[in-house]
Amino acid sequence: MRRLLIYLVGCSLFAGFLPAATAQDRSPLTETIIRNATVLTITRGTLTNTDVLIRNGKIAALGKNLKAAAGARVIDGTGKYVMPGIVDCHSHSMLDTINEGSLSVTSMARTRDVLNPNDIDLYRGLAGGVTTLNLLHGSANAIGGLNTVVKMKFGRPVEEFIFPGAMPGIKFALGENPKRSSFQPQPGQTRRYPATRMGVEEVIRDAFTRARDYQKTWAEHRAAVARREKNLVAPRRDLQLEPLVEVLEGKRLVHAHCYRADEILMLINVANEFGFKIKTFQHTLEGYKVAKEIAQHGAGASIFADNWSYKIEAYDAIPYNAAIMTRAGVNVSMNSDSDERARRLNIEAAKAMRYGDLSEEEALKLITWNPAWQLGIHDRVGSIEVGKDADVAIWNGHPLSVYSRVDTTFIDGQVFFDRQQDLARRADAQRERAALEAAEPNRPPAGGASPRTPRGRRPAHDDDLGKGDTGEVEQP
Amino acid sequence: MPRVYPRIAIVMATSIVLLPLLSLAPSSINAQRGSLDTYAITNARIVTVSGVPIERGTIVIRDGLIAGVGANVTAPADARIIDGAGLTIYPGLIDSSTSLGIPQALPSPSPSAAPGGGGGGFAQLRPQTSTTVALNSTQPPGLQPEVLAEDFLRPGGEQIEAARNAGITTALTAPRQGIWMGQSALINLAGDTTQQMIVRSPVALHVGFTPLRSGVYPTSLMGVFAALRQMLLDAGRYRDMQQAYERSPRGTRRPDQDRSLAALLPVLDGAMPVVMYADREREIDRALDLAEEFKLKVIIAGGLESSKVADRLRERKVPVLLSLNFPRRTTAALPEADPEPIRVLRERVEAPKAAARLVTARAKFAFQSGAMTNIADFRANLVRAIENGLAREDALRAVTIWPAEILGVSDRLGTIEVGKIANLLVTRGDLFDRNRTITHVFIDGRPVDLRPADPTSAPSVIAGGGSAVATGTWTLNINLGTGDLAATLILQQEGERLSGSMQGGFGTGEIANASTGPGGEVRFTVPVTFEGQTAEATFAGRMTGNEMQGSVTLVGRAPGSFTGTRAAAPVPPSAR
Repeated sequence: MRRLLIYLVGCSLFAGFLPAATAQDRSPLTETIIRNATVLTITRGTLTNTDVLIRNGKIAALGKNLKAAAGARVIDGTGKYVMPGIVDCHSHSMLDTINEGSLSVTSMARTRDVLNPNDIDLYRGLAGGVTTLNLLHGSANAIGGLNTVVKMKFGRPVEEFIFPGAMPGIKFALGENPKRSSFQPQPGQTRRYPATRMGVEEVIRDAFTRARDYQKTWAEHRAAVARREKNLVAPRRDLQLEPLVEVLEGKRLVHAHCYRADEILMLINVANEFGFKIKTFQHTLEGYKVAKEIAQHGAGASIFADNWSYKIEAYDAIPYNAAIMTRAGVNVSMNSDSDERARRLNIEAAKAMRYGDLSEEEALKLITWNPAWQLGIHDRVGSIEVGKDADVAIWNGHPLSVYSRVDTTFIDGQVFFDRQQDLARRADAQRERAALEAAEPNRPPAGGASPRTPRGRRPAHDDDLGKGDTGEVEQP
Repeated sequence: MPRVYPRIAIVMATSIVLLPLLSLAPSSINAQRGSLDTYAITNARIVTVSGVPIERGTIVIRDGLIAGVGANVTAPADARIIDGAGLTIYPGLIDSSTSLGIPQALPSPSPSAAPGGGGGGFAQLRPQTSTTVALNSTQPPGLQPEVLAEDFLRPGGEQIEAARNAGITTALTAPRQGIWMGQSALINLAGDTTQQMIVRSPVALHVGFTPLRSGVYPTSLMGVFAALRQMLLDAGRYRDMQQAYERSPRGTRRPDQDRSLAALLPVLDGAMPVVMYADREREIDRALDLAEEFKLKVIIAGGLESSKVADRLRERKVPVLLSLNFPRRTTAALPEADPEPIRVLRERVEAPKAAARLVTARAKFAFQSGAMTNIADFRANLVRAIENGLAREDALRAVTIWPAEILGVSDRLGTIEVGKIANLLVTRGDLFDRNRTITHVFIDGRPVDLRPADPTSAPSVIAGGGSAVATGTWTLNINLGTGDLAATLILQQEGERLSGSMQGGFGTGEIANASTGPGGEVRFTVPVTFEGQTAEATFAGRMTGNEMQGSVTLVGRAPGSFTGTRAAAPVPPSAR
C-alpha cells in the first residue's frame, strides 16, 4: 500500500512533464547566490544564516553578506537548508538494459552504450535532491559489465552526463544472483555455470588467471616491438579481459554485489591473492559480521537501510548494519538500487539515526561524502566547500525530516529541478497534452474496444521488470 | 487504354514463346532478354526528376532502357505505342529498406523438446530460428555478416506484387533479423529469376542491434555493442594476420580462414556502407558513436527521431533511410487506463514532420516503407509528410533520385534520362493525389501486370455492415521465433464493434482495442504471458474467408507472425 501511494504521488507530481527551464537557468555563466540559509556542509559542520555563492559552476564562497555580481540569481534561503547533491552509489536508472545475463563473465558489456538521457526517473531523482549516480550493470554474473558515473543532467546530451575524472568501475556479484538459484531458465535456455558459491569463486579466479596471461601476452608483444622485431602482428584485443587487467593494475574500481559474510571474506581472499582491491561491497547485508575485515581491506560498503528477508541470503540483515560498520571504521553509503527509492534517499539515511544512533552528520554522510569517496569523486562533490562543484539542493526543511522536500536542485551551478517552475509549467503541459490528444495520430482507432483486463499492481521498481532485457526478474 | 492492354498481352505472350528460341541466338545481354521490348508512350506529362517536367512528350523504351525522352521525340516504327494523353510518367519509386523476397523465419521446434530439459547442464549453443543462416560460419546465426540477401532471394510473391501495384519498382532488400543481419541487395521488383531482379549486390551490411533470443550471448543491447566491437576488432586483426602471412608465408603458421571476419573487411575499409537500424535520438547517437569508433561509412535506417540529430547527420554526411511507417495510436481510450506519456503523444505527431526538418537541416534522406503492413500507406504517408511541410518535389526525390544516390545507383536509376533503366510509373492524376490511378508500371522496360486493390472484391463482405464478419472460433498458430504457440481466439463482431477473448499458450485474456477494416483487416491487443512476463501483444492481420494471417508485436521483441483458421462458418449477426 505504501508503495502504491508513493507511486501515485510520484505520478501526479511529475508524470508527463519535461523540464523546459529558461536559458538563464541553464547558463553556467549565471551567478547564483543563496542568502541566509542553513548550510549542511557535511565536512565543516552546519553553518547558519549563511550565504552560498555559486559562480562558473563551482561553489565560489560561503559566508555572511557575500557580494554577488549584478544580474546574479538571488534566492532567499531564509528557513531553508542547503545540502550537497545526494550521490547514489548503486543505480540502474537511465539504462536501457541492465543485465547481459548470458555468460558468467560479461566485462565486455558497457553501461555507457545504453544510457537514456531522457529517462523520467532522473527528473524524479532530481526532485529528491540526487545529483550523481553510479550506474551499475546488473548482478546476473560473477563478473558483470562496466559502470558509468554520471551527473544527472536530465534532458542534456548524453556526453554531458559523464562525470569528469570519475574512476571507471566494474560490477562483480556473489551469491544467489550469479549462481542463478532463484531464476528459472527461459524457454530454450539451459542452466548456466556456476550453480554454487564455490563455482562463483572459481569463475572469478579463472577470469583473473586468464587476465594475467593476457597481460603477459601484451607485455611480451610490447617488448618485441621495442626490440624492433619484424612482421609482428599484435595479439588479439580481448574486450572481456582488458577491464580485468585494469583492475589488476589499480585503474578500475570493483563494486561487488554481495549479501553473506562468507562470500565477502571469499572475495577479499581472492583479491589479496591476485593483488587487487575491492572498492565497494554493494548491499553487504551481513557486513556487520565482518566489518573489521572490510575496513582492513580498505573497502567501502554501500547498503540498504532496512531491506530484509526478501530472499534466503537476506535473512540475516539488520537495520543496525550502517551504524555497526561505521563504528568499525568502514566507509558506508546508502544506495537506492531503485528508481523509486532514489527519490527519498534522505529518509534512508535518517533511518540510521533511529537504528544505531548515528549523528546527524554521520547520517548525511551516508548519502553524500561517503558514496563520493567510494566513487573516487570526493574532491569534487559530496560536501559544500569552496572550489567544489556546485551540485547542491535547497530543501524547505531539514533533509532528515520526512516533512521536507526539495525546492531547487543544481548541478554545476545550473538548475535541473525547480519546484516552482515545475508547478508553473503544469498548465502548459496540460494544454499541450489536450492539443496532442486531439491530433489525428493520437485519436483512438475506430471499432470500439472491450475494457482491458486489469493487470494487477504495477511493480514499483524498474528492477522488477528487468527493463525488458532478458526478462529476468532482477533482485537488489 | 482498353485498346492497349490486349496488345501488350500479345507481345508478352509472344515474347514468352520466343524466349527459348532467342536464347539460342548469338549471345548478347540484350538478346537474352528478348529484343521485342520497344515501347513508346506518347503525349504524356513526363516528370523526369532530373529537370523540369515535360508537359507533353514521348518516352521511348528499348531493351530495358530509356532510349529517348522529350517533347520532340518521335516513336520508332517498331515500338508498341501507348497513348499517354492525360497520363503522367514518373521514375519508378524506390523503397530504400525492405525484406522483399526474403523468406520469413520458419517455425522452430518447441523449446520443451530440447534435449537435457535444462536440468543442471551448462549453457549450450542453440541456433536461432532464422532462414538466413550461413554455412560453415564461425559465428552463431545473427552474428554472420557474410550472409547475402541475394542467396536467399525468391522472385515473385504477394508482397512484391503489392509493392509493384503501389508503384514501387526497386527496393533494397535485406535479411530480416540479427545483429549483423547480412548484406543487402538492390532489386527490381520483376523478373522470373533472382538473377534478373538484382540491380546491385551486395549494397550494404545491415546491423540490427536486436539481441539474440536463444539465450546465447549477446542477449542484451549492452552485449550487442560489445559483440559488434569485438568482431570489428577481430576483423582488423584478421586482416593484419593475413597480410603478415602473405608477406612471408614460409616459416609463418597459416592463419585460420574466417568468412565472418573476412566479410567485415570491406566495411572496415569504408568500401561498403553499414546500414544501422536506429529510430530514437539516443539509438541514432549510439549508432553514430560506434561508426565513428571504427570509421565506418554509416547509413541510418528507421530514423523516427532523426531530425533531432540532423546537424550531426549533416556534418558526418550520414544519410537516413526514413521510415514512412509513422507511429499512430492503436489502443482505444479507456477511462481506467493511465494516460499515455506525453512523449508518446508528441512522437506520433512529430513523426511526419521529420522529412521536412531533414531538408531544412540539409541532411540527406530517402524514404522506406518500414515494414508497414499495408503498402497503400506508402502513398498516404508520403502525403502526410507533404502536409507536414515537405515540398512535393522533395517528396518525389526522396522516393526516386535520393535513394538512388544513397545506394550508389544514381547512374542507372532514379530519374527519367536516356540510358537509365526503364523503371517507370504511369499514373492518371498526380502521384500524390488520393484519387490517382496507376495505369502502367514498367520494370526493366517491360510492363508488369497490375492488380490494383479493389475494396469491393474483398472476401466475406456483408451488405450493410461494409465489413468482413470476424465472428467465430479461430484456432491460431502463433510464432514469436521460439516455437509455435497454439491459441483459441473467440471473436464476436456486431457492426463495427469487435470483442472477444483468447486462451492458450499465452494465458487467457480479453481482447481490447479491436477494429476491423473493409478489406478483412483485423486488429486487436490482448494481454499475454510470455517467457514469464506479462505484456500486451498486438495482433494485426487480414481475414480471407475462414483463414486469417498477420503479425504479432510484443514490446521488446522482434515481430512474430500468426495464422488462424475458423472452425465453423461465421454466425450472421441476426442469428444471435
